[in-house]
Amino acid sequence: MALLELRRVTKSFGGTAALRDVSFELEPGEVHVLAGENGAGKSTLIRIIAGALGDYAGELRLGGRALHFDGPAAARAAGIATIHQELSLVPSLSVADNLLLATPGSPLAAVDRRGAREATTRALAELGLRIDPDTPVEALSLAERQLVEIARALTTDVRVLVMDEPTSALSAPDAERLLARVKALAGRGIGVIYISHRMDEIFRVADRVTVLRDGERVLTARASELGREGLLRALLGREIAAPAVANTAEKRPIRLRVRDLACDSRPRLEPVSFELRQGELLGVAGVEGSGASTLLHALFGDGARIRGDVALDGEPYRPRAPAQAFARGVALLAGDRHASVLAAQSVLENATLSSLRRFSPAALVRRHLELAAVKPEALRVRLKAPSLDAASGALSGGNQQKVALIRCLLARPKLLLLDDPTRGIDLGARADVHALLTELAAAGTSILFRTSDLTELTALADRALVLFDGRAVATLERRELEEARLLSLMMGGRA
Amino acid sequence: MTEPRSPRAAESAASPDSVSRASALTWLASPRIRPVVPLVAVLLLGAVLNANGAFFLWQTQRAVLREIAVEGILACGMTVVIVAGGIDLAVGSVLALSAVCFAWLTLPHGWSGLGAVLVVLVVGALAGAVSGALVAFARIQAFIVTLAMMVFARGVAKELSGGQKISNYVQSADGHFVNVPTPPIFGVLDGRVLGGELSVVTLIFAATVLVTWFVLRRLRIGRYLYAVGSSFEAARLSGVPVRATLVFAYLLSGLFAAIAGICQAAQETHGDPETGLGYELDAIAMVVLGGTSLAGGRGGVCLTLVGALTLGYLQKVLSLNAYSTELRLMLTGAILILAVLFQRRVSRETE
Repeated sequence: MALLELRRVTKSFGGTAALRDVSFELEPGEVHVLAGENGAGKSTLIRIIAGALGDYAGELRLGGRALHFDGPAAARAAGIATIHQELSLVPSLSVADNLLLATPGSPLAAVDRRGAREATTRALAELGLRIDPDTPVEALSLAERQLVEIARALTTDVRVLVMDEPTSALSAPDAERLLARVKALAGRGIGVIYISHRMDEIFRVADRVTVLRDGERVLTARASELGREGLLRALLGREIAAPAVANTAEKRPIRLRVRDLACDSRPRLEPVSFELRQGELLGVAGVEGSGASTLLHALFGDGARIRGDVALDGEPYRPRAPAQAFARGVALLAGDRHASVLAAQSVLENATLSSLRRFSPAALVRRHLELAAVKPEALRVRLKAPSLDAASGALSGGNQQKVALIRCLLARPKLLLLDDPTRGIDLGARADVHALLTELAAAGTSILFRTSDLTELTALADRALVLFDGRAVATLERRELEEARLLSLMMGGRA
Repeated sequence: MTEPRSPRAAESAASPDSVSRASALTWLASPRIRPVVPLVAVLLLGAVLNANGAFFLWQTQRAVLREIAVEGILACGMTVVIVAGGIDLAVGSVLALSAVCFAWLTLPHGWSGLGAVLVVLVVGALAGAVSGALVAFARIQAFIVTLAMMVFARGVAKELSGGQKISNYVQSADGHFVNVPTPPIFGVLDGRVLGGELSVVTLIFAATVLVTWFVLRRLRIGRYLYAVGSSFEAARLSGVPVRATLVFAYLLSGLFAAIAGICQAAQETHGDPETGLGYELDAIAMVVLGGTSLAGGRGGVCLTLVGALTLGYLQKVLSLNAYSTELRLMLTGAILILAVLFQRRVSRETE
């Protein structure tokens, strides 16, 4: 009998179905990898299992009993522990205190300090971790924290352990150790649901793999029978991107020349070199933590000190603050919407923020100048907003992204840096953004965009730079852009 | 997000009576009406209690407008700082320092009114700029920086005055105490205009409100102030000069505190190093009562004006009707919480 079973689960957000009729089974003692591109429905599925989403159609059975969790606490009590990408330890408290927080009991009950320390030491030893239980969590390495997080999850009686990309922030040897521990846990009869974007890792750890695509289950198979080719085929589906168009940017002058650019911000970036011509769309492919975002922010003068040489239109370019980058004609659309849109401010105020000098001669903001500039741009990107004075935070994600794009465009950039510009936005808005980028490039704007969506990358990019683990592992020309090849490279495999 | 419908929403759908109640609430909660509801409530309370008609006399209104002026000026600067996502606890002490400086220059040292005003404005702006620089460049929390400045400025005021009030009764070179003439600016600032119907400090308060409104709503830096308060990170990535903007906010707050300090000295006809104790809290109360969020990025000085009037009238209504000071303090505290709760609760129900 399956340990955990989902039967025909469907979940919609607004009008869009995040999961359609998905069934899933987890056997005791198995590591079951959940794979799929961003937006395929993985996180919706694990949120249902973890009790964070209660409003779905279908059935969830644990140990043969149909259950419906009305909150994460209920799922935990039933023996389902979830470890999210963002760790939930209290950094200033000691390891023992963090574990103590997870144990149920009255807040006023006396704390058995020695007992707690011994229990902690035992729990950590089981995971092969030898650290003093009195060490504050903030003094631990990321890998150690990950293990402490697991140890904490195991303080309760766990039957199902859900891990969401636990190695994404870890170095290779640390990840290796973690994988060994995960296997050991499964050996004790715990069922592990494991989400990963790394090809090697999937085949090191998985007993079975379930692939989701566009909210549907594509297949469930034994990892040994599936193979890498089979997994890639399942992840991508069979639709292959549109045929390549001629690269018109090839003959144009070079706009950006990057030589051995490196940056110590997290995630770090090791020396990378490339060139970008006027009107060229260069895609940067890389999963979260690959250093792709770091590259964009380094070119925007944001973050830690950078090394190497960068020239913009032949002139040395080394911005030390975003304001300096804007002054040189470089604009960035940050990946995190909270860092690109001011939710409390109106559409108009957001749109003109990066080029406000132009709209405020003698320091006085002129509304008619703003309106004259923002209205045509709003039409061009097909912005849907009740009015230009509406608070930006009230708009849909896609329209917020368009507001941020208008802000970048009004700064008249020569070089546009885009960090996952279509993440979390609907298909219509996505098409609008794609059309806009093509149009901008045709008009001579150079565009460097990171994306985790390979269909988007192959459709838009003239060339692609692939980053893995902070290193540039390949530069692909337009004719070489195939989704399978990119995916393999992004996951640390060979082309 | 799929949140369960609140029981209140279900209830309002149930009976026609509660539907009309809900629509009245919607009206009260509309962004234009919401901020003045507590003020109207206080005015109604004043009209009902009316203290044998004293509430309806112009001189009562004139007194309220004078009494809120000094703290209202502080609240204008506080609004700018809060909009930018900060807090300025130093304004009461900077007010005292300015009052002492002003009296020290004009009375024992015989400076002209205008010269003293200019120097004191520079002193206040400097105190604010130092706070701002520490917040913007050293990235120390505004609460801590301005708490330190509050203590420091009070210390300077006491040092400068020797712990005494500086009045026009001064010790001359030969050791005798003499009365020096008080410069005319004291009388002007403490006087009234329009045939005695309006206090000069009220006019200064009104001018401060106007200047603040202009800065926040018309100037480029105003946009930057809201942007920084809304999200420091997003503002920085949008190319906003975030640090200069923060320094400006605290500098303006210090400048306004200096203006308030000069008015205070003129009204008291001396420079008292102990004056302005707790004024920063009243100023914050005025801002918050108006409905400006302490989270930053929202609100404005018109709201603060409403908040100042609400607090001023509340005090007046309670004192006119002979409530004891003790009771007045307790009621003021309770009503402050009620007003803020009302605004938040109503806005949550409609959003």
